[in-house]
Amino acid sequence: MKEKLEALKAEAVSAVNSVTDEKGIEELRVKYLGKKGEITSLLKQMGSLSPEERPVMGQLVNKAKQEVEELITVKKAEISKKETEQKLLNETIDITMPGKSGKPGKLHPLNTVLNDMIDIFQSMGFDVVDGPEVETDHYNFECLNVPADHPARDMQDTFYLGENLLLRTQTSAAQIRTMETRKPPIRVICPGRVFRADEVDATHSPVFHQIEGLVVDKGITMCDLKGVLEQFAHEIYGKDTNVKFRPSFFPFTEPSVEVDVTCSECGGKGCRVCKGSGWIEILGAGMVHPKVLKSCGIDPDEYSGFAFGIGLDRLTTTRYKISDIRLLFENDKRFLEQF
Amino acid sequence: MKISVNQLRNYVEINVPVEEMCERMVMAGFEVESIEKQGDNLKNVVAAKILKLTPHENSDHLQICSMDIGKEEPVQIVTGAQNISEGDIVPAALNDSYLPNGMHIVAGKLRGVESNGMLCSGEELCLTEADYPGAEVYGILILKNDVKVGTDMREVLGLNDYIVDFKITANRPDCNCFLGVAKEISVVLGTKYNPPVPYFETKGGDINDCIDIKVENYELCPRYMGRVVKNLRIKQSPDWMQKAIIASGMRPINNIVDITNFVMLETGQPMHAFNYNDIKDKKIIVRNARAYESITTLDGNEHPLNENMLVIADGEKPSCLAGIMGGKESEIEEDTKDLFLESAKFKRDNIRHTCRTLGMRTEASGRYEKGTDILNVEFAMNRALQLIYETDSGDIIDGVIDRNNGLPEDRIINTTAEDILSLIGVDVPTEKMVEILNNLGLNAEADGNKISCRIPSIRDDIEGRADLAEEVMRIYGYDHIIGTPMRGNVARGTILPQRKKDNKIKALLCGLGAFEATTYSFIPSKAIDTLRLDEADERRNQIKIINPLGDEYSVMRTQLATSMLTVLSTNINRKITEGRFFEISKRFVAKQLPLTEQPDELATLSIGIYGKDEDFFTLKGIIEEIMKLFGAHTQYERSNEPYLHPGRQALVKANNKPVAVLGEVHPEVADKYDIETRVYYAEIKLDILYSIEKRKTTYKPLPKFPAVERDFAMLCDTTLPVGDLEKAIQSGGSRLVEKIELFDVYTGSQIPEGKKSVAFSVWFRSADATLTDSQIEEVTAKIIKKLEALGAELRK
Repeated sequence: MKEKLEALKAEAVSAVNSVTDEKGIEELRVKYLGKKGEITSLLKQMGSLSPEERPVMGQLVNKAKQEVEELITVKKAEISKKETEQKLLNETIDITMPGKSGKPGKLHPLNTVLNDMIDIFQSMGFDVVDGPEVETDHYNFECLNVPADHPARDMQDTFYLGENLLLRTQTSAAQIRTMETRKPPIRVICPGRVFRADEVDATHSPVFHQIEGLVVDKGITMCDLKGVLEQFAHEIYGKDTNVKFRPSFFPFTEPSVEVDVTCSECGGKGCRVCKGSGWIEILGAGMVHPKVLKSCGIDPDEYSGFAFGIGLDRLTTTRYKISDIRLLFENDKRFLEQF
Repeated sequence: MKISVNQLRNYVEINVPVEEMCERMVMAGFEVESIEKQGDNLKNVVAAKILKLTPHENSDHLQICSMDIGKEEPVQIVTGAQNISEGDIVPAALNDSYLPNGMHIVAGKLRGVESNGMLCSGEELCLTEADYPGAEVYGILILKNDVKVGTDMREVLGLNDYIVDFKITANRPDCNCFLGVAKEISVVLGTKYNPPVPYFETKGGDINDCIDIKVENYELCPRYMGRVVKNLRIKQSPDWMQKAIIASGMRPINNIVDITNFVMLETGQPMHAFNYNDIKDKKIIVRNARAYESITTLDGNEHPLNENMLVIADGEKPSCLAGIMGGKESEIEEDTKDLFLESAKFKRDNIRHTCRTLGMRTEASGRYEKGTDILNVEFAMNRALQLIYETDSGDIIDGVIDRNNGLPEDRIINTTAEDILSLIGVDVPTEKMVEILNNLGLNAEADGNKISCRIPSIRDDIEGRADLAEEVMRIYGYDHIIGTPMRGNVARGTILPQRKKDNKIKALLCGLGAFEATTYSFIPSKAIDTLRLDEADERRNQIKIINPLGDEYSVMRTQLATSMLTVLSTNINRKITEGRFFEISKRFVAKQLPLTEQPDELATLSIGIYGKDEDFFTLKGIIEEIMKLFGAHTQYERSNEPYLHPGRQALVKANNKPVAVLGEVHPEVADKYDIETRVYYAEIKLDILYSIEKRKTTYKPLPKFPAVERDFAMLCDTTLPVGDLEKAIQSGGSRLVEKIELFDVYTGSQIPEGKKSVAFSVWFRSADATLTDSQIEEVTAKIIKKLEALGAELRK
């Protein structure tokens, strides 16, 4: 009986080792280890053994059974793993095929750039405020030191809507409203839409956008103005950008400056974009005119401040190298998708 | 203002290259619009001598010239000109040369004979008699016989000048002239400024015997000065004067007119020359025009005048539109004998109004509008007399008449070095400040820290320490300003709630595949008709722009549909097959028309969509998401927006307030925008939506007990809104209803005429326990009862 067991075990081991699929292994399990399996049935033949042999033989059979069972379990796992691997292999896909998703839309590039700017100025402690687009002559001109018939009014052609009512030509009007309602220290920006009677062409639009900045506090100087604009320029154009002040004239600031930054196209070496100068003009700024402070009830002997006005449209067209400002207002989806 | 640099050199030493001077002027506040180097457009043209002339075999008018161009070998050039002979020195454009008229000359063959260039006429070199004698002769320009052969024509013509166009800012009217710019250059370069010192001699007589001057309105004419010059000798003005005038964009006419123009360009003070013999009663009266008077000006145009306009009249009628243009009748002509010369200051606002009213603008009026200096009136007069004297243009009569109501004194500004520096934040030594201010003619004196300036009337732009700070800094150099980082409060800035809400909507819409559009705030006035709005519709109360750029941009929009339809049309007509767009902008709602106060500017959202997968319900889906964002309790009602499809539109109420309309665009409206496909539009009043107080979001526990799903399928009249059925289910099931989903609406075969089949899935759930069968049956029965009450017939 012992020999028979050995033979049976050897046969089972060899059968299990040569089997390749899950079905075959299950058949072998039944054949050898099932209730009527060949090894199991050896246990039933124990009756023919002597009482001394029975426990010994019983142990041997159980051991053999256990060994075959373990072998089957291992083999089964092995086969199952192989089959899974094969199945996954068969499921291989072409990963170069396009992705699927509900395509999101995009913000208008003007607002993408505006959001960046708002973020930069908010981080420097500027509150973001709004003002009306239909302004009075008072806020758009008078309070900004541009009295009626002042030659400076020639600098901008204004759309009029009624006696003393106009479409604001500059977000600077919001400066006044801010100074009238807040007490220094003041630190605000006012982004918004402005209007000028410019015929439409590649670089002019009767509707465009500005961001007005205003700081009023004790002891504010042009160095503070430059510091803020430098930080702004570094964030927008990169750390190596230099800022240059050129004297200029605006009725509501004194001293007034035009602000140039290193041409981002050539890094200051001079190129077509900067017309060889290495600089591009990005905004106008200056120290708030004492008359303007006074007209808003702020004592110019106690407080000083600076203001600046950034052209959002120009900033956007230069950032994305958009050659024609009209594209911003055409709203062709193929254009809007790009930003 | 365009200025000849050679002219400037008469007043100031320019000891650096012109380009560098320009750069330094830019850094002192004088933007340079252009630098034009004379002769830049004249290249490779030389003075050449005709050695030999041979007739051309194949032509009866061409001649073959052998030209000495100053090199060893002569050059052969074929010409058609007849006014030349051997030995003449003429301008020869050689192979690969450029002429000022834009011509590019290259070697070639003329009727088979090689020609290595072209002989030039004065016209081809863009010359006039003033530039070179004989320049306007028909034919080749014959040069003076002492011109050295081979000399570049630029040298021959003396084209070594630069013409610089300075952009003068509005605060510096004193620099709209040669002397003003020259003075600035002297300060910037640190060189000497030499203004002319007028000197002239008179020929006796007495002006008071010649003319009587009366100023009736000193407010509009604070100063009027007159002189008389007799026995005029009208001729051409000197070359140098003509060149300076041409460089500044004016035209030489004759010595008297040129002198008045030159003095204006040089000093900034407009001058006017009257034909003395045309002055009736020998009276000059500066007065307001009378109603119904008119004047024919030098340009030949007749202008009706009104009582606000200032004129210079003689004993009978206006003979000059003060400060703008002279009258035709008193014009200086070739045979004019005697001259009355005016130098005056007129009030700038008045000149500006008159110019606007009459639609006129002249070099003189431009200067008066910007502002002139009352003290300059006398200097300019004397300078003009000096030029008349020096050019021997006439006999100056003794005496001057100077009418004014008092002349201003210099203004004193007292300040301190600290006050000036406090705006700049740069430490400029006091001596340096004083030096700069003095160089600028602001007469500064320092006493310790105190600085006192005596400001001449010509610099009336200087009002206080801020102006002085600018004057100091623009000369000291803005590159001395070193940026300092923001000081003080370091808290992050705040943002208005409205902007935050806008951003939320934008993020949502972008997530839903919509692109943000940006359109103009004004639209065509007739666009409102295109939308089929009733006569009484409030949106017809559009605010008109008084001076629009054209009808296309003539009224402020009261709705955003016009703009959005244009966006959709643009995209559809560019063969873009689908799209979702939105814009957040303002509607302008007038409180009354015509406008007397600021209108309401109401934040509005517009959404436009089209494409094969879009319909009313995809748009409604978008609206529902927006309403959810603000926690609005919404109702959809049938509406009658005229520009939308009558059967496919809805009014949206949020918390019982009308907040939006949405629907398919009416085909007639779409057609007007060249839209042939179905497009969908919604307009949401954000001012109303944003006024909804959203309840704070609080966590609801996740369900512990299972839900039970039941389907309800029914037949009902096609006219019965699905929304009513849904409400019935909700009310029948009350708190146990967790979710209702419409999964089928069907009409057609097997459904009786006039009926539709509608099917819902409904989920029931209780928060406290698993629902029992009997509970479900009870609630189902209630729902069925409600549905039946609406006329629905449940299908088993």
